Amino acid sequence: MPTQEEKAQDEMLVRDMKAGQMEAFDKIFELYQRKIYALAFNMTRNQMDAQDVTQEVLLTIYRKIDTFQGKSAFSSWVYRITLNATYMKLRTKKKEQYVSLDEGLPNFNHAGFQNEKVSDWSKSTDSLLFSNETKGIIEKAVELLPEKEKVVFILRDVEGLSTEKVGDILDLTIPAVKSRLHRARLFLRKKLSNYFDEYQTRSSKK
Amino acid sequence: MICCKECIDLLCDYFEGTLDPDTAASLEDHFKDCPPCVSFLETYRQTSDLCRKTLTPVEIPEPVQIKLRDFVKNHIQSR
Repeated sequence: MPTQEEKAQDEMLVRDMKAGQMEAFDKIFELYQRKIYALAFNMTRNQMDAQDVTQEVLLTIYRKIDTFQGKSAFSSWVYRITLNATYMKLRTKKKEQYVSLDEGLPNFNHAGFQNEKVSDWSKSTDSLLFSNETKGIIEKAVELLPEKEKVVFILRDVEGLSTEKVGDILDLTIPAVKSRLHRARLFLRKKLSNYFDEYQTRSSKK
Repeated sequence: MICCKECIDLLCDYFEGTLDPDTAASLEDHFKDCPPCVSFLETYRQTSDLCRKTLTPVEIPEPVQIKLRDFVKNHIQSR
Protein backbone atom coordinates (compact mmCIF):
# COMPACT_ATOMS: atom_id res chain seq x y z
CA MET A 1 0.00 0.00 0.00
CA PRO A 2 1.23 3.52 -0.64
CA THR A 3 2.20 5.29 2.54
CA GLN A 4 0.12 8.22 3.77
CA GLU A 5 2.83 10.60 2.54
CA GLU A 6 2.82 9.04 -0.92
CA LYS A 7 -0.95 9.31 -1.05
CA ALA A 8 -0.86 12.92 0.09
CA GLN A 9 1.83 13.69 -2.48
CA ASP A 10 -0.22 12.04 -5.24
CA GLU A 11 -3.31 14.02 -4.27
CA MET A 12 -1.36 17.25 -4.35
CA LEU A 13 0.12 16.42 -7.76
CA VAL A 14 -3.30 15.58 -9.17
CA ARG A 15 -4.69 18.89 -7.86
CA ASP A 16 -1.80 20.82 -9.38
CA MET A 17 -2.14 18.98 -12.67
CA LYS A 18 -5.84 19.72 -12.85
CA ALA A 19 -4.92 23.37 -12.28
CA GLY A 20 -2.75 23.17 -15.38
CA GLN A 21 0.70 22.99 -13.82
CA MET A 22 2.98 21.08 -16.15
CA GLU A 23 5.58 20.46 -13.44
CA ALA A 24 3.07 18.25 -11.65
CA PHE A 25 2.82 16.01 -14.70
CA ASP A 26 6.61 15.84 -14.95
CA LYS A 27 6.74 14.68 -11.35
CA ILE A 28 4.04 12.06 -11.97
CA PHE A 29 6.00 10.87 -15.00
CA GLU A 30 9.10 10.54 -12.87
CA LEU A 31 7.27 8.72 -10.06
CA TYR A 32 5.23 6.33 -12.16
CA GLN A 33 7.08 5.51 -15.36
CA ARG A 34 8.96 2.56 -13.88
CA LYS A 35 5.85 1.11 -12.22
CA ILE A 36 3.86 1.38 -15.45
CA TYR A 37 6.66 -0.07 -17.57
CA ALA A 38 7.38 -2.93 -15.12
CA LEU A 39 3.75 -4.05 -14.99
CA ALA A 40 3.36 -3.82 -18.76
CA PHE A 41 6.63 -5.66 -19.29
CA ASN A 42 5.79 -8.48 -16.89
CA MET A 43 2.38 -8.88 -18.53
CA THR A 44 3.65 -8.84 -22.13
CA ARG A 45 7.34 -9.85 -21.77
CA ASN A 46 8.07 -7.58 -24.67
CA GLN A 47 10.09 -4.37 -24.52
CA MET A 48 8.39 -2.72 -27.49
CA ASP A 49 4.91 -3.49 -26.16
CA ALA A 50 5.82 -2.25 -22.70
CA GLN A 51 7.13 0.98 -24.22
CA ASP A 52 3.93 1.47 -26.26
CA VAL A 53 1.77 0.82 -23.22
CA THR A 54 3.79 3.25 -21.10
CA GLN A 55 3.43 6.00 -23.71
CA GLU A 56 -0.28 5.40 -24.00
CA VAL A 57 -0.75 5.47 -20.24
CA LEU A 58 1.19 8.73 -19.91
CA LEU A 59 -1.00 10.28 -22.58
CA THR A 60 -4.16 8.99 -20.90
CA ILE A 61 -3.08 10.39 -17.53
CA TYR A 62 -2.52 13.75 -19.19
CA ARG A 63 -5.77 13.78 -21.17
CA LYS A 64 -8.08 12.17 -18.63
CA ILE A 65 -6.84 13.60 -15.36
CA ASP A 66 -10.05 15.66 -15.12
CA THR A 67 -12.12 12.47 -15.10
CA PHE A 68 -10.20 11.10 -12.12
CA GLN A 69 -12.50 11.70 -9.17
CA GLY A 70 -10.34 10.44 -6.36
CA LYS A 71 -12.76 7.71 -5.27
CA SER A 72 -9.84 5.29 -5.15
CA ALA A 73 -6.14 6.05 -4.86
CA PHE A 74 -4.45 7.72 -7.82
CA SER A 75 -1.99 4.82 -7.98
CA SER A 76 -4.89 2.35 -8.37
CA TRP A 77 -6.22 4.46 -11.25
CA VAL A 78 -2.82 4.42 -12.94
CA TYR A 79 -2.51 0.64 -12.53
CA ARG A 80 -6.01 0.19 -14.00
CA ILE A 81 -5.20 2.33 -17.04
CA THR A 82 -1.98 0.38 -17.46
CA LEU A 83 -3.81 -2.95 -17.37
CA ASN A 84 -6.44 -1.77 -19.85
CA ALA A 85 -3.76 -0.65 -22.28
CA THR A 86 -1.89 -3.92 -21.74
CA TYR A 87 -5.01 -6.00 -22.43
CA MET A 88 -5.65 -4.07 -25.65
CA LYS A 89 -2.09 -4.81 -26.69
CA LEU A 90 -2.39 -8.50 -25.88
CA ARG A 91 -5.75 -8.79 -27.68
CA THR A 92 -4.25 -7.59 -30.94
CA LYS A 93 -1.45 -10.10 -30.68
CA LYS A 94 -2.83 -13.50 -29.85
CA LYS A 95 -5.79 -15.49 -28.77
CA GLU A 96 -5.59 -16.67 -25.23
CA GLN A 97 -4.79 -20.34 -24.97
CA TYR A 98 -6.83 -22.29 -22.52
CA VAL A 99 -4.73 -23.71 -19.72
CA SER A 100 -6.27 -25.90 -17.07
CA LEU A 101 -5.26 -24.87 -13.57
CA ASP A 102 -6.51 -28.13 -12.05
CA GLU A 103 -3.17 -29.77 -12.52
CA GLY A 104 -1.74 -27.56 -9.77
CA LEU A 105 -3.17 -29.78 -7.06
CA PRO A 106 -1.49 -33.01 -5.90
CA ASN A 107 -3.35 -36.34 -5.97
CA PHE A 108 -5.48 -37.01 -2.94
CA ASN A 109 -6.98 -40.30 -1.76
CA HIS A 110 -10.69 -40.52 -0.94
CA ALA A 111 -10.06 -39.17 2.58
CA GLY A 112 -8.28 -36.10 1.21
CA PHE A 113 -4.72 -37.15 2.08
CA GLN A 114 -1.82 -36.81 -0.31
CA ASN A 115 -1.15 -39.82 -2.46
CA GLU A 116 2.14 -38.94 -4.02
CA LYS A 117 5.63 -38.19 -2.85
CA VAL A 118 6.22 -34.45 -2.50
CA SER A 119 9.84 -33.52 -2.96
CA ASP A 120 11.09 -30.43 -1.15
CA TRP A 121 13.29 -28.50 -3.54
CA SER A 122 12.89 -25.23 -1.64
CA LYS A 123 16.40 -25.38 -0.12
CA SER A 124 18.25 -26.38 -3.27
CA THR A 125 17.31 -23.56 -5.60
CA ASP A 126 20.07 -21.08 -4.76
CA SER A 127 22.60 -22.37 -7.24
CA LEU A 128 19.91 -22.67 -9.88
CA LEU A 129 18.27 -19.33 -9.39
CA PHE A 130 20.50 -17.31 -11.59
CA SER A 131 20.91 -19.81 -14.36
CA ASN A 132 19.31 -18.73 -17.59
CA GLU A 133 17.57 -22.05 -17.87
CA THR A 134 15.73 -21.58 -14.55
CA LYS A 135 14.92 -17.99 -15.42
CA GLY A 136 13.46 -19.14 -18.74
CA ILE A 137 11.38 -21.85 -17.09
CA ILE A 138 9.92 -19.37 -14.60
CA GLU A 139 9.15 -16.75 -17.25
CA LYS A 140 7.47 -19.33 -19.43
CA ALA A 141 5.41 -20.77 -16.57
CA VAL A 142 4.12 -17.30 -15.59
CA GLU A 143 3.33 -16.57 -19.22
CA LEU A 144 1.22 -19.73 -19.38
CA LEU A 145 -1.10 -18.55 -16.61
CA PRO A 146 -4.54 -17.43 -17.74
CA GLU A 147 -4.83 -13.62 -17.73
CA LYS A 148 -7.07 -13.38 -14.64
CA GLU A 149 -4.66 -15.36 -12.50
CA LYS A 150 -1.56 -13.85 -14.07
CA VAL A 151 -2.48 -10.26 -13.31
CA VAL A 152 -3.24 -11.05 -9.67
CA PHE A 153 -0.01 -13.00 -9.28
CA ILE A 154 2.10 -10.24 -10.84
CA LEU A 155 0.55 -7.43 -8.82
CA ARG A 156 0.59 -9.33 -5.52
CA ASP A 157 3.64 -11.59 -5.57
CA VAL A 158 5.92 -9.95 -8.13
CA GLU A 159 5.20 -6.24 -7.60
CA GLY A 160 4.54 -6.89 -3.92
CA LEU A 161 1.28 -4.93 -3.59
CA SER A 162 -1.04 -5.82 -0.73
CA THR A 163 -4.06 -8.07 -1.26
CA GLU A 164 -6.33 -5.08 -0.49
CA LYS A 165 -4.60 -2.91 -3.07
CA VAL A 166 -4.92 -5.62 -5.74
CA GLY A 167 -8.64 -5.89 -4.92
CA ASP A 168 -8.97 -2.12 -5.28
CA ILE A 169 -7.19 -2.05 -8.64
CA LEU A 170 -9.09 -4.99 -10.13
CA ASP A 171 -12.38 -4.28 -8.38
CA LEU A 172 -12.36 -7.73 -6.79
CA THR A 173 -13.28 -8.85 -3.28
CA ILE A 174 -10.44 -10.00 -1.02
CA PRO A 175 -11.54 -13.67 -1.19
CA ALA A 176 -11.60 -13.44 -5.00
CA VAL A 177 -8.05 -12.03 -5.06
CA LYS A 178 -6.84 -14.78 -2.72
CA SER A 179 -8.53 -17.51 -4.68
CA ARG A 180 -6.91 -16.41 -7.97
CA LEU A 181 -3.57 -15.94 -6.26
CA HIS A 182 -3.74 -19.42 -4.74
CA ARG A 183 -4.60 -21.02 -8.08
CA ALA A 184 -1.71 -19.21 -9.75
CA ARG A 185 0.74 -20.28 -7.06
CA LEU A 186 -0.39 -23.91 -7.21
CA PHE A 187 0.00 -23.97 -10.97
CA LEU A 188 3.46 -22.39 -10.83
CA ARG A 189 4.57 -24.61 -7.96
CA LYS A 190 3.67 -27.66 -10.00
CA LYS A 191 5.58 -26.39 -13.04
CA LEU A 192 8.65 -25.60 -10.92
CA SER A 193 8.41 -28.97 -9.13
CA ASN A 194 8.46 -30.78 -12.45
CA TYR A 195 11.50 -28.80 -13.48
CA PHE A 196 13.48 -29.23 -10.24
CA ASP A 197 12.63 -32.95 -10.00
CA GLU A 198 13.82 -33.44 -13.54
CA TYR A 199 16.92 -31.35 -12.82
CA GLN A 200 17.80 -33.48 -9.80
CA THR A 201 17.38 -36.68 -11.80
CA ARG A 202 19.58 -35.25 -14.52
CA SER A 203 22.32 -34.26 -12.03
CA SER A 204 22.29 -37.60 -10.24
CA LYS A 205 22.86 -39.43 -13.51
CA LYS A 206 25.99 -37.44 -14.25
CA MET B 1 -7.43 -33.79 12.16
CA ILE B 2 -7.81 -31.80 8.96
CA CYS B 3 -6.81 -33.59 5.77
CA CYS B 4 -4.09 -32.59 3.28
CA LYS B 5 -6.60 -31.18 0.82
CA GLU B 6 -8.08 -28.81 3.40
CA CYS B 7 -4.56 -27.95 4.52
CA ILE B 8 -3.52 -26.90 1.00
CA ASP B 9 -6.72 -24.89 0.54
CA LEU B 10 -5.77 -22.84 3.60
CA LEU B 11 -2.17 -22.05 2.64
CA CYS B 12 -2.87 -18.64 1.10
CA ASP B 13 -4.70 -17.43 4.20
CA TYR B 14 -2.06 -19.03 6.40
CA PHE B 15 0.68 -16.93 4.81
CA GLU B 16 -1.50 -13.80 4.86
CA GLY B 17 -1.97 -14.38 8.60
CA THR B 18 -5.73 -14.16 8.22
CA LEU B 19 -6.71 -17.56 9.61
CA ASP B 20 -8.54 -17.65 12.92
CA PRO B 21 -6.26 -18.97 15.70
CA ASP B 22 -8.03 -22.34 16.00
CA THR B 23 -7.74 -23.11 12.31
CA ALA B 24 -4.11 -21.99 12.25
CA ALA B 25 -3.41 -24.29 15.21
CA SER B 26 -5.01 -27.32 13.56
CA LEU B 27 -3.04 -26.57 10.40
CA GLU B 28 0.19 -26.51 12.38
CA ASP B 29 -0.82 -29.77 14.08
CA HIS B 30 -1.26 -31.31 10.67
CA PHE B 31 2.22 -30.16 9.61
CA LYS B 32 3.77 -31.92 12.64
CA ASP B 33 2.53 -35.26 11.39
CA CYS B 34 2.68 -34.78 7.65
CA PRO B 35 6.10 -34.35 5.96
CA PRO B 36 4.53 -34.21 2.45
CA CYS B 37 2.49 -31.17 3.47
CA VAL B 38 5.58 -29.53 4.97
CA SER B 39 7.35 -30.04 1.64
CA PHE B 40 4.32 -28.64 -0.12
CA LEU B 41 4.25 -25.61 2.18
CA GLU B 42 7.95 -24.89 1.68
CA THR B 43 7.81 -25.20 -2.09
CA TYR B 44 4.58 -23.17 -2.24
CA ARG B 45 6.31 -20.36 -0.39
CA GLN B 46 9.49 -20.70 -2.43
CA THR B 47 7.51 -20.48 -5.68
CA SER B 48 6.47 -16.89 -4.93
CA ASP B 49 9.99 -15.96 -3.82
CA LEU B 50 11.64 -17.45 -6.90
CA CYS B 51 9.21 -15.78 -9.28
CA ARG B 52 9.66 -12.40 -7.61
CA LYS B 53 13.46 -12.67 -7.66
CA THR B 54 13.42 -13.72 -11.30
CA LEU B 55 10.96 -11.11 -12.57
CA THR B 56 12.11 -8.08 -10.59
CA PRO B 57 13.38 -5.48 -10.64
CA VAL B 58 12.34 -4.41 -14.10
CA GLU B 59 14.42 -1.42 -15.09
CA ILE B 60 13.57 0.67 -18.11
CA PRO B 61 16.37 0.17 -20.66
CA GLU B 62 18.30 3.35 -21.52
CA PRO B 63 17.04 3.59 -25.15
CA VAL B 64 13.44 3.23 -23.95
CA GLN B 65 13.99 5.93 -21.33
CA ILE B 66 15.17 8.27 -24.06
CA LYS B 67 12.15 7.43 -26.21
CA LEU B 68 9.77 8.00 -23.31
CA ARG B 69 11.32 11.38 -22.53
CA ASP B 70 11.06 12.36 -26.20
CA PHE B 71 7.48 11.17 -26.32
CA VAL B 72 6.51 13.31 -23.33
CA LYS B 73 8.35 16.30 -24.80
CA ASN B 74 6.73 15.99 -28.22
CA HIS B 75 3.23 14.87 -27.35
CA ILE B 76 2.52 16.30 -23.96
CA GLN B 77 4.76 19.16 -22.92
CA SER B 78 4.49 20.90 -26.28
CA ARG B 79 0.72 21.27 -26.00
